[in-house]
Order: sequence, then structure tokens, then C-alpha cells
Amino acid sequence: MASTEIARYLEVGQQRVALDPEGYLVDLTQWTPEVAEALAVEDGLTLTSDHWEVIDVLRNFYQRFEQAPAMRPLVKAVGQQLGADKGSSIFLMRLFPESPAKVGARLAGLPKPTNCL
Amino acid sequence: MHLHTLNQSPAQSQVYRQALAAMADDDCLLLIEEAVQGALPHLIGPFEGLAGRLYVLEEDLVARGLLERCDDNARVVDVEGFVSLTEQADKVLSWY
Amino acid sequence: MNVNKANEGMNDSNIAHTSITPPSATGELLVILGHAPHGSSLLREGLDMALVAAAFGRRVSLLFMGQGCWALQPGQGEGALGQKGTQSTLEMLEMYDIDNIMVEAESLERLGLESSDLVLSVSVVDAASVQQAIASHTLVMNF
Repeated sequence: MASTEIARYLEVGQQRVALDPEGYLVDLTQWTPEVAEALAVEDGLTLTSDHWEVIDVLRNFYQRFEQAPAMRPLVKAVGQQLGADKGSSIFLMRLFPESPAKVGARLAGLPKPTNCL
Repeated sequence: MHLHTLNQSPAQSQVYRQALAAMADDDCLLLIEEAVQGALPHLIGPFEGLAGRLYVLEEDLVARGLLERCDDNARVVDVEGFVSLTEQADKVLSWY
Repeated sequence: MNVNKANEGMNDSNIAHTSITPPSATGELLVILGHAPHGSSLLREGLDMALVAAAFGRRVSLLFMGQGCWALQPGQGEGALGQKGTQSTLEMLEMYDIDNIMVEAESLERLGLESSDLVLSVSVVDAASVQQAIASHTLVMNF
């Protein structure tokens, strides 16, 4: 579930993007690649083509199933769409350290995954 | 042995069918809450095949004034008896 | 996990495919879904339970019985007040490796549902298989 509580705003160009207390978008339709870049800067990440591919997988997953994936299904979805060599938790941990499912969902403009602690 | 509890009256809900389908030959059924109606002669029909494995909770019968009307084929147990059935069972499933 | 799968696959090829009991009828958690979508939140809660367990690597099986079978009716949408439906969650189960999905035959028939016209590919099982599934899972939860 996307939180409706606005904790702060992120300035992206002309856009004011509302973030919930955990840094996820309050209005998911506000997501643009520029928003992802700005969120990545907050996390100290530089987005490479590998990041963008995974963000794309995450957004497809959400569009299809209406939920952000936990780690295991994310690994599976990445494997299916980007090939088996990328469908591993190590690959995802390198891109989105600590918690790929949560960090990835945030950057991809999805709600926080519900089935992952 | 698995203990199955049912809390809906067979006169109201068909969920008893799931309980019966899920019961193996040595499983027990305990009727609680509204389901104690199923221990009355008029409503015991669906449970007739459960000779010796059909229990009904005394406290819930008493509360509804139904203790005296209970069918002989239902074994009346109090809450302590319920606890002891639970202890004997490998698994407890509640149907509601 | 992969080792188990491989073993199951091997056993699978050794047995005749006449049984209506799915080959992977054992597991750690069996979630029984006995309530219809939209009428209460029980179906959703049961599915969430299954997803959480699967996300933590548990082998999960699902069994639809009674009113729970309505979850398998195709073409469902959101509720009148915009509450999320469950169909997209059912379609997602595969991504959580929840692939042992059973539905009790008598319940389907009683409700006039056809096994060929359900949102998921499911194993239609008889009462004996239901009992066997309950016995062969470490934990059974009824929603």
C-alpha cells in the first residue's frame, strides 16, 4: 500500500514530489526517470544501465500484479526478463545495496513491498 | 488425530461440508458456538457418520438452553475437555 | 529448494499421471481458503499469509474450498469502493513459486464452476486428497 502521509518534498526540476516517511512516492503517477535519479542521489547511487533495466522489471511487475515484489519474486522476474545471469540476489545486492526489493521499489516509484520485512 | 472445530450452525451455513470433507477416519469434530445446534436430533443429520468422534461444547449448549435437547450421539465436553482434545490432536483446524 | 524441485521432478516421471493428487502435495505450509472475495478480508489475509511464508523460502500450498472457490472465477475487478481485487494476487503466486494449488472437486461442482474456466491452472482434488494434504503439511492455516 502506498502511504498517504506526506513527510517531505523532493524538488526535481519544476516538480515537487511528495514522499512518505520512508521516502516512497505518495503519488505514484509523479514518477519520472528524473525522479528516480533524484532519489538515487539521496541513496548515494549512480544509476547505470543495469539499474535502469531492473527498474523497468520492477515497474512491469507492479503493472502486472499491482504489488511491489519481495526479494525472491524480484530475483525470479529479473531472471525471466534479463536473463539467468542477472537473476541472482548478488547482482541485485550490488545494484541496490542492503535491501534490493525496498531500495529498488523506492527508485522505481512503487509502494514499499508488503511481503518483506 | 486432527481436531476440527466448527462454529457455524448447519441450519445456517454450508461450511460443515468442508469440515467433513477434510476429516480423515480418525479425526474428531467439535461443535462450538452456533454449531452446537448440529448436536440436536433435528439437525445432526450431516454428522451421523461420525459415531464416537462428534463432540459438542457444553458451555455453548448451556448458554443456549440446549443441553437437555442434545442427541445421544454427540459427546458433550466442557472447556477442559476441549483443551484435552486439543492436546491429543496433532493439528487443530477451525472451520468458520 | 532447487534440490527438492529436482527430486520432485524425478519422482514425477516415475509415477503414472492418473492420480489427481499433485506430485508435490507435501510442503511446510498449507493455506486453506474458504471465504469468497469481496465479502470479507479473509481471502486476502490468507493469500498474504501464503506470500509472506513463500517470500521467506517456505514451500507453500494452497487449497480452495467452499466459498473460497469464487476466488478462481475469471473476470473479477475491484470492489465498489475501489478495494483491490484478488485476481492479480493469484496471478502473482507463480512468481513466489507457489505452484501447488488445489481446489476441492465437490465445492466446485456445488457452485457450478468449471475447472476449465478458472483464473489459474489448479489441481482438482477429492476429499481423500484434501485429507492427505492436511496430513502431509507441517502447518495448516484455515482462512
